[in-house]
Amino acid sequence: MSSDDDMEVMDPPNVEAEEEQEQQKEKRKPQETSTLSLSSKTKEHSQEVSNDQMDIEAYASLYKKRTKVSRLLFIANHCNNEAMELEALRMAHEEICKGENTSHYKEVCEKINGRLGPAFTLNQEWIDTVDRRAEQRLERLEIELNGYKTNLIKESIRMGYNDLGDFYNERGDLQQAFKNFVRTRDYCTTSKHIISMCLNVILVAINLGQFHHVSNYVAKAEQTPDNLEPLIVAKLKVAAGLAYLENQKYKLAARKFVETSPDLGASFNDVIAAQDVATYGGLCALASFDRAELKSKVIENRNFKNYLELVPEVRELIHDFYASRYASCLGYLQKLKTNLTLDIHLHDHVESLYTLIRHKALIQYTTPFISVNLNRMADAFKTTVVGLEKELAALIMENQIQARIDSHNKILHARHADQRNGTFQRSLQTGTDFERETRAMLVRANLLKHDMVVRGTRK
Amino acid sequence: MENTDSLDNLVAQVQGLSGCTEDLAHLASILKQSEEAISAKGAPRLHIAISLLDPAVHSLGYLFFLDAQSCDPLPKDQAEEFLNTAIHFINVCSKDQIQLAPEKFTMLCKSMKESALQLNSPMRVVLPLHNAILKLQPSPQYLTALHAEFFLVCVLAKCYTSASVVLEEQIFEIDPKKCLITPKDFLLYCYYGGMLCIGLKKFAKALEFFHHAITAPATVLSAIVVESYKKFILVSLIENGQVPSFPKYTPAVSIRYLKTCTQDYLELANSFSTRNISDLQRCVASHEDAFKKDSNLGLVKQVVSSLYKRNIQRLTQTYVTLSLEDIASTVQLASPKDAELYILRMIQEGEIFAVINQKDGMVCFHEDPEQYKTTDITQRLDEKIRQIISLERKVTSMDEHISCDQAYLSRVGRDRSRYDLEDYDLVPQKMFQTS
Amino acid sequence: MTVPVIVESMAAHQEAMEKTIVSLQEAINARRFGELASMCETFELEMAAKGLEKPSDWPYALHLLGHIYISDLNGARFLWKRVPSAVKQGQPELVAAWKIGQCLWTYDYAGVHEAFKGYSWSPAVQQIVAAIKDEYSKKNMILLSTAYSTISVTDAAKFLGLTESETIKSTTQNGWTLDSSSNMLTAVPMVTATAQKLDSSKLQDLTEYVFSLEH
Repeated sequence: MSSDDDMEVMDPPNVEAEEEQEQQKEKRKPQETSTLSLSSKTKEHSQEVSNDQMDIEAYASLYKKRTKVSRLLFIANHCNNEAMELEALRMAHEEICKGENTSHYKEVCEKINGRLGPAFTLNQEWIDTVDRRAEQRLERLEIELNGYKTNLIKESIRMGYNDLGDFYNERGDLQQAFKNFVRTRDYCTTSKHIISMCLNVILVAINLGQFHHVSNYVAKAEQTPDNLEPLIVAKLKVAAGLAYLENQKYKLAARKFVETSPDLGASFNDVIAAQDVATYGGLCALASFDRAELKSKVIENRNFKNYLELVPEVRELIHDFYASRYASCLGYLQKLKTNLTLDIHLHDHVESLYTLIRHKALIQYTTPFISVNLNRMADAFKTTVVGLEKELAALIMENQIQARIDSHNKILHARHADQRNGTFQRSLQTGTDFERETRAMLVRANLLKHDMVVRGTRK
Repeated sequence: MENTDSLDNLVAQVQGLSGCTEDLAHLASILKQSEEAISAKGAPRLHIAISLLDPAVHSLGYLFFLDAQSCDPLPKDQAEEFLNTAIHFINVCSKDQIQLAPEKFTMLCKSMKESALQLNSPMRVVLPLHNAILKLQPSPQYLTALHAEFFLVCVLAKCYTSASVVLEEQIFEIDPKKCLITPKDFLLYCYYGGMLCIGLKKFAKALEFFHHAITAPATVLSAIVVESYKKFILVSLIENGQVPSFPKYTPAVSIRYLKTCTQDYLELANSFSTRNISDLQRCVASHEDAFKKDSNLGLVKQVVSSLYKRNIQRLTQTYVTLSLEDIASTVQLASPKDAELYILRMIQEGEIFAVINQKDGMVCFHEDPEQYKTTDITQRLDEKIRQIISLERKVTSMDEHISCDQAYLSRVGRDRSRYDLEDYDLVPQKMFQTS
Repeated sequence: MTVPVIVESMAAHQEAMEKTIVSLQEAINARRFGELASMCETFELEMAAKGLEKPSDWPYALHLLGHIYISDLNGARFLWKRVPSAVKQGQPELVAAWKIGQCLWTYDYAGVHEAFKGYSWSPAVQQIVAAIKDEYSKKNMILLSTAYSTISVTDAAKFLGLTESETIKSTTQNGWTLDSSSNMLTAVPMVTATAQKLDSSKLQDLTEYVFSLEH
């Protein structure tokens, strides 16, 4: 995930690209063009994709291998901005050319469709060379594996399957890679083997988007009897966190991310960057933790602090949230939103996480008060009083806020349940229900006693 | 009795044996044996025989002779005469005597009802059937086959209020031996009972009736159950705003097929749950024919109106004040004036507590002012406690009955290994306690 | 032995009718209006059971008003439904009585008042109509004072069935205030007292309950 800091340190603004954007701006609809430029005059009417232009190069540099390509392609597909799209495609192209995944290569060339000049048109010769070399290698690997199999050398067979798995992974045939890595399972003799098998499978499964496999193999790895190395533990936590995130179990995801030790560093960047741990973990935690948990597991968590330092906006917005500085918190969130919607793992969840966080903020804001001035609250949440009233009404109806709105005077009044009245009400209701149900039961018992059963034969 | 004996002989027997209990028991068996012989005699001879008996004194015999007359399909003038005779008989007959032949009595009452319907005047038998129920019931807790007939006649004669007393009676005993009731009679009792309650706007009670029908033990799905479930869905929405799931003792056949038979209604319930009036109205419009065909359209309209109320009620939980205009737009009423009238109506019915401020066009919602401190509340609580205690006694006595039941004990004995021995020992202990 | 009534003599029929009218009149005279509905219903069903045709002047209007008096609109509704249409045509008073019921059913407050005024009621029902009207006005006044904090004089007049000046007079007597610039009345809620005391007999009940629970 990119951040302001990264941008400054890692990459000077791309002058060329900006010029290009300025030109294109003329041809486009305003809401699209507004996203193109960093200039302040377009900032005002920025909408969907906000003012903080994503620095793709800085972002891409956090990852390697397949995930780098996938993320770049994802950005290209979702950014609705040609300059950005081309930039992403160009970098994807560059990364793909380092590897052997010719189908990816074809895909990206097709997408570029000549827009980046002759250097980026399809090079059939390159494809043929790589494919031929790959075919030969596959043949060799299979012969080797067959040799091991006839000789029944367990460890060699395992290595053979692993090599095949690696090969297919490189080539981009994830299904085959998955199969081969899974096959090594029967030939694992030590915990180490099992863990390596699990990590291989997890990696491929994440790229495949099959997160139930991820959870399964994380569990398998954690069940091995040996003590796991801290790095392995960290990788497994992150993988599990991703799986929970995909299943919208934000609280569980948050727990996994915040428990990830800083040992991870950049060592898992073929899946996830340390910055992502901070962002994913931070947002999931905000959306699902209560205040106490937020304090103990996030804010006072030394390990996680290391991650948060990498993404200062997330750190700041968490602190703002905890300190009830909602306007600032929401401001950061709004700034981050564009980039988050371009994140391969987070984009599906941005809306629901944001809604949850906003709701929690609204609830937290109202909790300590007997009455709240809606005008002031609307300011704090950067919204109109009418809009706020609707949001609050929805939360009250869902029983998330115990209060009632004085729409006339624009005040929210806390509502304290009268225990005594409530008890009376409940006992009367329980009595009525009990009576009704017992009567129904007695009638039924009598019907059964006399074998009064509605049967087909009777008329 | 020898078959050759004439009707006169039987009449003499009736006259002679209508005194004490033993004689009557004897007479009952004589009459039952002679049933065929009686109906073999032609109507004119039976007519003469009846004229020799007093319906109040010789009720048992009179019953047999009168019922034999109804066996033939009656021409209109005779139907009139039969109806009058039967009504008079029911009014004056002896409860003790007719209970010796509940089957005959039930049949007579059914024929009486048929005659009234044939003559197109169901109202004539409203009172007589109510009387008949009281005479046939060993106690008010017994359900008879006549309950359903009575309810039907009340519906047809539009005498809904006349059914109130019987509707309110808590029925527990359903004994085919004493009251000659069939499962179909039970289902009809539930269905017509539910219909009457809907007419009287006693929705909670209506739900109870339909609930009984839906959960009655069954191996096939009865059309009565299907119709009951349709009304159950609608009334549930009006009364509770949602349709409960089937209780676990619902017959499998109902759970499996009821939903497919009531698609239109379940879609309505679904649409109701969105709380969106226009969705609901669209849904009503698209299924209107089905609702009309089932004569449920009136009830469906009440469902729609209840959604307005429910939505307004939700607002009272959310707002202390809200403008009439906002209320109208939130609950999709045409104008603030409509919203005002709806709210006024709900205040009048005690469904919400609110004060309308016409000057500012605002409504101020209050919480239920009930403080549960009045003697009225104590009385209500008191009554409820008493009811539950008496219900509790019934449950206990039924539990004891079952604990002593041969079939139950042998079943438990067979499964002995599955139970903890200590649990098992509780059964005989309980038996000792009660004896 | 007696053969049951097959055709009751005209005289007996007449007698039954007269008895009915007398007992209804007695109830009216004693202002026991609450009993009228069930009395009429019983007579109606008894007549039906005897197979007797009801005479064209059967007091349906009184019966219907009896239901309205006890706020049993369902009863009134079903009575209206079962009255033969020939009778409805022959008894304008019944139609007028139903008009009241109908307006009550649809919460047409102004309509109810009009229905009261819109017919010159026969002496037989005048008392009960007056009683219903009184009760209705009283209830409306209470409803108005609890349901509104401010209400326009025009609307209040509709609810109460009065002219605007009568409305101002009667509401201000109850402590309401008039803002003549906006023609708005400010209501004063009526407080109804409820018994809040418990007597010691409840203690005995409580003992019984506890006993029952422990048993």
